[in-house]
This record gives sequence, structure tokens and C-alpha cells, in this order.
Amino acid sequence: MSVKFIKETDFNDFVGKMMEARTVVGPVAKKTKFVFGELESVDQLRLDYDVTILPPKKLFFPPRQDLLKFHGQKGTSCICPQPKVLFGVHYYDIKAIDQTDFLFNENNADQNYLANREATTIIGTTIQNVSPRAFFGSVGKNVNPKGHDGFLTRINGGWVFETLTSKGRDLLDFGKFIDADDAQKAEAAKVNTEEKTKSPEKIKAEGDVVAQKVRKSFSEDELWEEFAKDCFSCGSCNIVCPTCYCFDVQDNWNVDQHSGARTRSWDGCLKADFAECSLGQGACENFRETKGSRFRHRIMRKAVYSNEKLGGPACVGCGRCSLSCTADIADPVNVINRIVEG
Amino acid sequence: MAVRVAYFDFTCCEGCQIEMTNFGDAAFLELLNHVEVVEFREAMSEKTTEPIDIAFIEGSFSRESDRKRLEEIRERASIVIAYGACAATGGINALKNHQGDYKKAVYGKDSEMPHLDSMCARGVDAAIKVDYKIHGCPMDKNEFVRVVSHLLHGKEPVIPDYPVCVECKQNETVCRYQLGDHCLGQVARAGCGAPCPADGIPCEACRGFVSNPNEEALEKVLIENGGLSAERAKYKSRMFAANHRSDAVKE
Amino acid sequence: MACGTCNCNSPEIENLFMPKEALITETKWMTKDTKHFVLKWADGSKVSHQPGQIVEASLFGFGEIPLGFATSPTQENSFELVIRQVGRVSTALCKLEAGDTMLIRAPLGKGFPLDELRGEKVMIIAGGLGIVPTRSLINYITDRRDEFKSFTLFYGARNPSELLFKEDLVKWRSSKDVHYFETVDGCCEEDNWKGNTGVITTLFKQAEVTPDTKVIICGPPIMYRFVMMELYKCNVPHENVYVDLERRMKCGVGKCGHCQINDKYVCIDGPVFKYSELDSKEEAL
Repeated sequence: MSVKFIKETDFNDFVGKMMEARTVVGPVAKKTKFVFGELESVDQLRLDYDVTILPPKKLFFPPRQDLLKFHGQKGTSCICPQPKVLFGVHYYDIKAIDQTDFLFNENNADQNYLANREATTIIGTTIQNVSPRAFFGSVGKNVNPKGHDGFLTRINGGWVFETLTSKGRDLLDFGKFIDADDAQKAEAAKVNTEEKTKSPEKIKAEGDVVAQKVRKSFSEDELWEEFAKDCFSCGSCNIVCPTCYCFDVQDNWNVDQHSGARTRSWDGCLKADFAECSLGQGACENFRETKGSRFRHRIMRKAVYSNEKLGGPACVGCGRCSLSCTADIADPVNVINRIVEG
Repeated sequence: MAVRVAYFDFTCCEGCQIEMTNFGDAAFLELLNHVEVVEFREAMSEKTTEPIDIAFIEGSFSRESDRKRLEEIRERASIVIAYGACAATGGINALKNHQGDYKKAVYGKDSEMPHLDSMCARGVDAAIKVDYKIHGCPMDKNEFVRVVSHLLHGKEPVIPDYPVCVECKQNETVCRYQLGDHCLGQVARAGCGAPCPADGIPCEACRGFVSNPNEEALEKVLIENGGLSAERAKYKSRMFAANHRSDAVKE
Repeated sequence: MACGTCNCNSPEIENLFMPKEALITETKWMTKDTKHFVLKWADGSKVSHQPGQIVEASLFGFGEIPLGFATSPTQENSFELVIRQVGRVSTALCKLEAGDTMLIRAPLGKGFPLDELRGEKVMIIAGGLGIVPTRSLINYITDRRDEFKSFTLFYGARNPSELLFKEDLVKWRSSKDVHYFETVDGCCEEDNWKGNTGVITTLFKQAEVTPDTKVIICGPPIMYRFVMMELYKCNVPHENVYVDLERRMKCGVGKCGHCQINDKYVCIDGPVFKYSELDSKEEAL
């Protein structure tokens, strides 16, 4: 659409004006880490963050989300999107949002997600600091980020703001933007190309080779049990993953014992009973009973199973799973490199 | 018709009963529209011998002489719920199971008094059949309300069986390990909502272990990642999970 | 209805998870823990499912469970479900009686491929509760008998008291429309059972199965492997075999991930799969 420039000295004013008019969610500090949170003041915004604990999926697909409310046996839908600006998303997370957009839309459109998504304006930004476990530069290289409404790149003396949709363009009203000149555009392009080389960890093969070799390793049960030996089945790797979207659904009554809600909450395929079902008469079958089989399912799900429909791996290289795994076994880079190197 | 409930306590601090009275708000009063409390030592003086629909038992089974009273409760009650860590698993009381001279250490010259004649501390399910357990030290009052709510409707209550890490991550709490601390959240049963790590305190697994805790990996992570000595790492989870650990004293 | 969360008056957005009301017109205990329900849509609409498709049945407060339709769409004004009390939801649903309302999302998933079965020899192998979803096809075939060539049905239950649809069994035993074979794993004297005893594969001795037969299998997970070994002996190729799978289907719309096998979701890509689609897929059978 258009490429604009705003001076560093005008930038906070832009964010402040935007906050007056809109609900703005952006990266903010939490202890020594970062989270996406609703901005209450401009100086909370930390565009120099490396990675957030949870990915921005939580805004569209909250950890707990009521799907329906009920009174007795009468149900009411409760899809009620709140418009907001999601400001300062790194490109790997934009890729992930694009995937969950597709997944919640395919076959049966899930408006509990999609309505929140449509009500949100997404502005991407340059990765100024890199997470120590990131590998975004070596995964899904042929998959370009899309679906966002604008992108901010930090260059000398200010920011280049590329608007991609009318939702993105609407934000121009809040700041002193001028047209970016060719030198500024070129500098922004260079910054955004270079950032992709900055991730410290690297998968040592291309996506289709990875998919092929990982798929082939399926039957190596011993290898998978070895990978998963220290697994706690805690599902942390699932929960922090920007492309994981599995959920559980539970009903609960309110304290009046008459009304209540049918609620979905984030689930994870690493949890022990994720694929368990009761067959009756006390019998139950767990279709992924061992730690190794669950560990394998996650890697297959990220590197193999969905590649065809997503056009690339269902992993964007954010490194959150590696950071969140206290046993440090979740890192897909270690797993995949071990497999591709035989 | 209101469901008749009664509270009983055994070896414990009665803190879970206190936690119950901590509701003090609309939620608890609303619940009283659906249940009739017929016995509750921390809040009322009445006692009954009538049949009860739900018996809530607090405290561990640690004296053979308590068996008879537990059996009587079981006989009177349609549903027995062990609530709080002590009743559910033996809780912190079970630390004594690994301590030879605890009586002398704790009670000194009074250690020979007959009521101190106790055995290994266990959950009350060591004496009687328990239908459901509400874990935690103290038990979580919100979970309590949910369990009661399910039972009022004749629905088997949903008791979480996954680690506390799940709840920390959902809350977006900074992991204790990333702050140079240690934690037992990876093996601890969730359901509490993980308030401790959010408040800067490592999880001590007061709700006991999940069904399949990876104890070996925990020890390794406590040493390598949590900075604990090998000795401390080995016994770290004993405080609340002594009876869940693979080295639990089997009597 | 407007948004239930606040007073925003946003227009009603279609919610995948909103069930429809179905009125229960008849119920009957088929065994001590398995109940049969006849239902019709509360809004008067006709049934619109395909044989083999599934429903998510629920009661608010208790939750949802996946079930297969037990009736064929040739029965236009009502449909039937069979529920075995095994968990929270099924126990609550089994307390419902005629006149009560059940909440249903349906039809979900892909059923039996009628186009591939028409004009062919069809064989159904059902074990235990597997008779319930396959009955939607059995009734379809017997209602439109001339659209199919020979039709063989194997049904096995744990013991005679576990046999479901006893009235249907009486019909099938004497019907010219179906070559019906039945067995029980075991029985006691009081059962007064005169039929075959043994696992379902023992029935293969009694029936002729030619390689051009289209075979549908539905039963407990353990059954598939043994039935496939028998079909292999009969030279039935994998392309001719269909399996109706059971998994932990939670959302029923291909999102929640619980029923995922490889890249397939049982709830939307199945529950009926061509065996040849699955034999390269680990964890499927």
C-alpha cells in the first residue's frame, strides 16, 4: 500500500495518540522476560524485546475461552470480539498467526477464533534483540509472513512503516508520517533481510529433506524414547508454541448451579492422557501411551504432517519450546539435526 | 432437597476448614442454598449421627485408633471426599515416615504420652474407600466449589492430572528456573492455578505428584538447572509427596 | 440472539459449538449399561446425515461425547443413538427419558462412501458397540436392497446378553436380504445360546468372501488387526476395505487435535477411512 517514515522523536507521540483511540497490545516487560500485554503507558512498550513467554495467539485463542454460556439446557453464543491493535509482532509470530488463521478457518470456520482475529490490527516489527534459542532463520525459509496490516522497521533516526491493508493505513492518522525516501526503504529492506540471519541455532537441512527424514524415523521407537527420557509430559512446549492450537472442552456450572459455561482451554499432545479414550466397562485405550510416542507426535506435527496444507513446516523457529523446557529436551533443532545427520 | 454435608478432621492443622470459612463471600453463601452443613468443627458445635450425603475428611490417617471412626464415617456417608494434602496423600505429615526419632525430637520429655503413639502417616484411603480427592495444602476453595457443584449434579468431578507447569505457562508466569531458582512444578499435580510461582515462590508440590511423575528427570533438573546439591535434589519432593515418591515407606 | 457476554449487540455470529435441540421420543435399556434413544429434531427438520456420520451429543454442565448415528437417512423423521454409560457425559445422557431434550451437533465427519458401495458386494464386520454406527449402513442397504449385490453381516459380542438390537437380529437371522452370521466370545448355561462361540474371525469359516467384496470393519481397536489377517487370506485388497474408527473426539470439527492420527483428523476426515489410506499411517490401527 504505502511506505512511510516517522522520526524517532515523533514515535512515542504516535504510540500515545494511537493508545488514546484504540486498545493497544504490545510487548511489555515481566520480570526478566517479556509478554504481550495491554499498554497503559507509552514507556511500557518494549519493541526491543527478544521473545515473549506466550505467543500472540492468546489474543485470538485465549488460554481459557467460553464457547457457549448456558442457563439450564438453553445455550447462548458468546462470540464478542473486542477491537484492538496488536503492535510489535516479530515476523516469525506473524507467520504463526497466518497458520492458525488458516487452521481455524479450514473445513469448519471457527468464529470463536476468527472473530477475535478479524477485530485485530496486526503491526509487525523488526527483531532488535534475538532470543538465545531462536532458529527462525533456518526453518520455513520459503514461507513469507503475511496476513498482517503493517510493518515497522527501525532504521537510523526513526522507523519505516509499511502499511499493507486499510486497517494498517488507518493508524497513519495518529503520527507525523511522511513518505519514506528510497534510501530509507533500502535501509529497511536491508535490516529485514539481515535479521533473518541473526538466529543463533540452525537446522541443518531444508524443510522438505527434514520432512522426509523425520517421517522416515517414525518407526525408530528407541530413538524417540531416548529423546523423551527426561520428558515430564508437562506440555510446556505445546502451550508456548505459536502454532499449537489443541484444546480441551469442559462444562462448569456457576455457583447458582443452574447457569454456567462450556469452556475450551489450551491442551497439549505431550500431556499423558491427551489421546486416551474410554472404551467402556473400565477399559480405556491410550493411542499415544509412551512418552516417546507423544514426543514424536509433536515433532511430526511440526515438521511433517501439516507441511502440505501449510506450504511449509508448522514451526516458525521462535525457540519458545526450547526456553520453556526445564529438561531441555524440546528443542526441535537438536532433534531434527540428530535425525537428518543420522 | 439440600445435600447434607459434614466435615471431619484427623491428623492435620485444620487449615483446610479455615480455608473453607475464608470464602466469607457471596460464593459460599450461594453454595449454602444447595447444601446443608450438619457437622463442621471449625464453624459450628453441633454433631450428628445421621446419614450424610457427602463426608469431607481432612487430615491423615496416622493412628490405628482412628480407623474405627473413619469406618463409621464411611458407613454413614454416600460419598467420601479426602480433602487437603494430609487426607489425600498423607501430606506433610508423611515426612515422619522417614524420620526415626521424630517423637523425641518434637516432644522431648512428653514423647511417651499415649496419644502420640502413631504410625506412618497416610492418606485416609489407607483405612477406608475414598471416592474423590481434593488435593492441596491448603485445598483450593475454588476447586472445592467446583467439585461440590459437580457432585450436586451427580457428575463425577474433574480432578486435574497434569503438572503445574501447564498452569504457569497459561498464566504466562516467568519460570522459576529462568530466574535461577528451582521448582517442583514439572511433577506436581495442577489444579491450584499455580499461584506460588507467580508470587515468586517455587512450587513445593503440595498437591502431590501427577500420576506418572518423572522423578529421575526431576532430580537431574534440580541439580543441573536448579542449582541444588545432589543430596537436596534427591529428597526435595519429600515435603508434600513423601507417599507419592518411589521411596515411600510401605509399612 | 445477541452476544451473551456483554450488551454489545453485535450480530449473531455462527458458532460451530452451538448444539441443536433434539426431542427424545422413546428410550429402552438394551443391556444393563447401554441405552437406546429415538429422537427427532425439535425444530421439525428432517434428518440429513449420511450412514456412518457422527454426532456430538451433550447436556450443558456435563459436556459432549461423539456417537455414531444408529439409523439410516432412509428413516427420515427420526434418528436413533445408542449410549453406553462409561463416563461423565454418557452417564448423564443415559438418565434422560422420553420427553426430555438432548443437545446435538450433527451431522459431523465423513460416513460410508455410498457411491463406492452401490452395485457392489458388501460385507460388514461389527464387533461390540461397532454394530451401532454400522447399523446406519445396514438399514440403508436393507431399505434399498436392489442397489447392492450380495450383503453379508458378521456381528460379534462378548456374550449373549451384550448383543444389541435384539429385534433386528431376529429379522436378520431369517432375512433374505442379508447373509447374517453372529458369534459371542463366551456364554454360560443360563444364556441358552445355540449360536457360534468364539471371536469374530471364527465366522470366516462359515462365509465365502470373494476378493471383489467391499468390506466395512467397526469394532474395538484389537479387532482390526485380526480381521485384516483373515481378509488377507481371502485376497481382499486394502482398497476394498473401510474402517470406522473410534478416537477421543472432543470438538468434532477438526480443531482440538485429540483425534489426530498422522495428518488425519478422525472427526472430519473420518470416522470412516479407506484402509489403503491408513495403512501407511502409523498409529492408525
